[in-house]
Amino acid sequence: MTPVRPTILHVDMDAFYASIEVRDDPSLAGLPVCVGGPADARGVIAAASYEARRCGVHSAMPTAEARRLCPGLVLLAPDFERYTSVSREVMAIFRSFTPLVEPVSLDEAYLDVAGCERLFGSPAEVGRAIQREILRRTALSCSVGVAPTKFLAKLASDLAKPQGFRVIEADEARAVLDPLSVSRIQGVGPRTAKRLAALGVATIGDLARRERAEVVAEFGATGAWIHDLAHGVDTRRVSPRREEKSHGMERTFPADVADRDELRRHLLEFCEEVAFGLRDKGLRGRTITLKARYADFTTLTRTKTLDHPTNLGPRIYAVARELLERLPIAPLRLVGVQLSSLSDVRAPIQETLFEGLEGGSRLLRGGQVPGRGKLERATEGLDRLRRKFGARAVVPASLLGRARVPGREAAAGPDAGA
Amino acid sequence: MKVVCDREKLRDGLAIVNNVVPSKSAKPVLENVCLVATIDGLEILGTDLECSVRYRIPIGEARESDTKEEKTLRGGVLRVDEPGVAVVPARVALDFVRDLSADEVVLSTQESSLTIQGGEDRCQLVTVDRDEFPVIAPFGEQATVAVQGGAFVRVVQRTSFAAAREAGRYAMHGVLSEYDDGMLRLVATDGRRLAMSSIPAERRGPTERARPAIVPTKGMQLFCRVISDPLETVQLHLGENQVGLKTKHAEIFARLIDGEFPKYQAVIPRETSNLLEADADLLARKLRLVANVTGVEARAVKLKVEKNELLLTGQSVGRGDARARMECSYKGAPSAEIAFNPDYLLEGLKNCEGELVRLEFNERTSPGKFTLGENYVYVVMPITVDA
Repeated sequence: MTPVRPTILHVDMDAFYASIEVRDDPSLAGLPVCVGGPADARGVIAAASYEARRCGVHSAMPTAEARRLCPGLVLLAPDFERYTSVSREVMAIFRSFTPLVEPVSLDEAYLDVAGCERLFGSPAEVGRAIQREILRRTALSCSVGVAPTKFLAKLASDLAKPQGFRVIEADEARAVLDPLSVSRIQGVGPRTAKRLAALGVATIGDLARRERAEVVAEFGATGAWIHDLAHGVDTRRVSPRREEKSHGMERTFPADVADRDELRRHLLEFCEEVAFGLRDKGLRGRTITLKARYADFTTLTRTKTLDHPTNLGPRIYAVARELLERLPIAPLRLVGVQLSSLSDVRAPIQETLFEGLEGGSRLLRGGQVPGRGKLERATEGLDRLRRKFGARAVVPASLLGRARVPGREAAAGPDAGA
Repeated sequence: MKVVCDREKLRDGLAIVNNVVPSKSAKPVLENVCLVATIDGLEILGTDLECSVRYRIPIGEARESDTKEEKTLRGGVLRVDEPGVAVVPARVALDFVRDLSADEVVLSTQESSLTIQGGEDRCQLVTVDRDEFPVIAPFGEQATVAVQGGAFVRVVQRTSFAAAREAGRYAMHGVLSEYDDGMLRLVATDGRRLAMSSIPAERRGPTERARPAIVPTKGMQLFCRVISDPLETVQLHLGENQVGLKTKHAEIFARLIDGEFPKYQAVIPRETSNLLEADADLLARKLRLVANVTGVEARAVKLKVEKNELLLTGQSVGRGDARARMECSYKGAPSAEIAFNPDYLLEGLKNCEGELVRLEFNERTSPGKFTLGENYVYVVMPITVDA
């Protein structure tokens, strides 16, 4: 099943946010630079320069810890607008080589360069050319992996980082994969790695030698997926029209929140924002996931799938709140809400018998109006106001007068769903 | 207390009461059953505060020399040597009695334990202070609606499947029960489909008005489980905040759902322009066939009717499309179409009582009314594209 020719490129910018900061302020050159939230508001590191990484600092680490590891750390507040505009430049460079570009995040993308030989040469040559072009046009370095599949291409760029370049041919995949730790496989997190270790599986080679049935029995669908990857089998294509798999928000509070009412208000605010985001993208979601992180960093999630998809804040909140009640009561440092199983609002609609809130019937209104609830129609009007005067122009009364704590928007793609 | 009881009767009683006993409760005392021995027999009580059961095993005229069959016929409790009360862990008591092999079981209390003895085998269960166990008031003399047990079970099955399961819409999480002019009517809806059915009923006792009540679906299912004899008459009391059901052996109470049930009468179409009659089994088969290709994201099967032919089509972006044809009898516009979630239709057709199912509707955006039997209507909202 493995395609023989390596035509997939994975291009990953090196320490993207930090590199942009250093590029634009040369006095930072050679210093351990990090972009992230402040330690006293319990921020986390969003990106770390290679100098900072040498001290053990990495992204997603609490800023306070990073400061401990690296006392001379230069911490900068993130400027996402600037990063986004640089990202657009980089993506445009990719697209000048091939239309098959699948952005994974601001600083990372998969490219399929099959069929570009006549114009630009072999995949390896295209990879080199892209790396040169990015450096020339943006003064930023990146790492490029070239391989027959997405997983191998990403692995190649990871192994080559920083400023690296690596081709993995189909016939050397086995030799490259075998000695690597299983945690290199996308989908093997710390927990799965631990369970694998308990079964005596430490390297990708160990995993590949196991019977597929055995791995599937132990890990279910994930088992089939990681066993395939361990064999270098990865049928995912590079798809330029990345469909969103989920949409959500989460937030680390400046101080742990124990008060349930306070948590519910945060939750309501999230649900309203997530719902607005979904409506803005013309989507609805069916599966609602609540994420909660406790003071000791234990992270729990609770999920509920609705019978029918929604993009209405109050409906999402009703479920999220119910999920919150199912969590043990203790101070929380982070709360998040995510919707998945997304579908297009233009998908067929199941009509309803009773009007959304009052329980009056649509037949009473003459029976000819498309069966949409009052809440839906009211929301449409509110959204027009929000688009004109800003997302916070209309909020539920219980959220009036609250200062907004910045949350991190998390829109995850197919990889995160894997 | 000291009671000698038929093992099977005791097991059945414990099993019924265990249906309400929570396996894990914030109030641990609720994980127990309360056994009450009186000169009339043995009562088993259990509650989760939402639903409560009082199950009675009457004293029979059985003699110890009777055969097993004779004892079963005559009644479960053979002898009450000493009336008394014991509150013991519900699950353990049931499991132990179920696994005993003796025909007769002796229940006897000591200071702080209950001994269950069957032949050579016995266990001693720790008892809980009886005062901690919630009081379950008896059914008493009150206005009731009397119906035949089997008919009641059937009318619950015909309707309860349509009740809401999702969060929110609290008032739809149960089955509306109302008495109206010699009929007991049950209605359940989740806001997208609605099932309504009624059975003959008779008013009894004081002549206060029988108020409509929303009975939690769980309570309804429990009611059905305790009706052991389809021919017995059961009595339903629709109270202010609870509903009670009295059968030969059991009294069950369920706290009512406090909410306003949607005005369901208004959504049942009265005049319809298109009428279609088809073989119910065949329609179900064709629906299932076409539904195979429809995806979860857009679960819809379109019914198009023209002359006496029904065409069913379904499609999914990722999978392809399917179509099926069948004969039907049809009166209405030259041709008409309407799309439904096939799962809703199949759930209804499963309960169809005759060979033919009748579908009436006006247009593709208005409700479809299915007649599935005598006094049995199922209304389903269609699926439309382009809101």
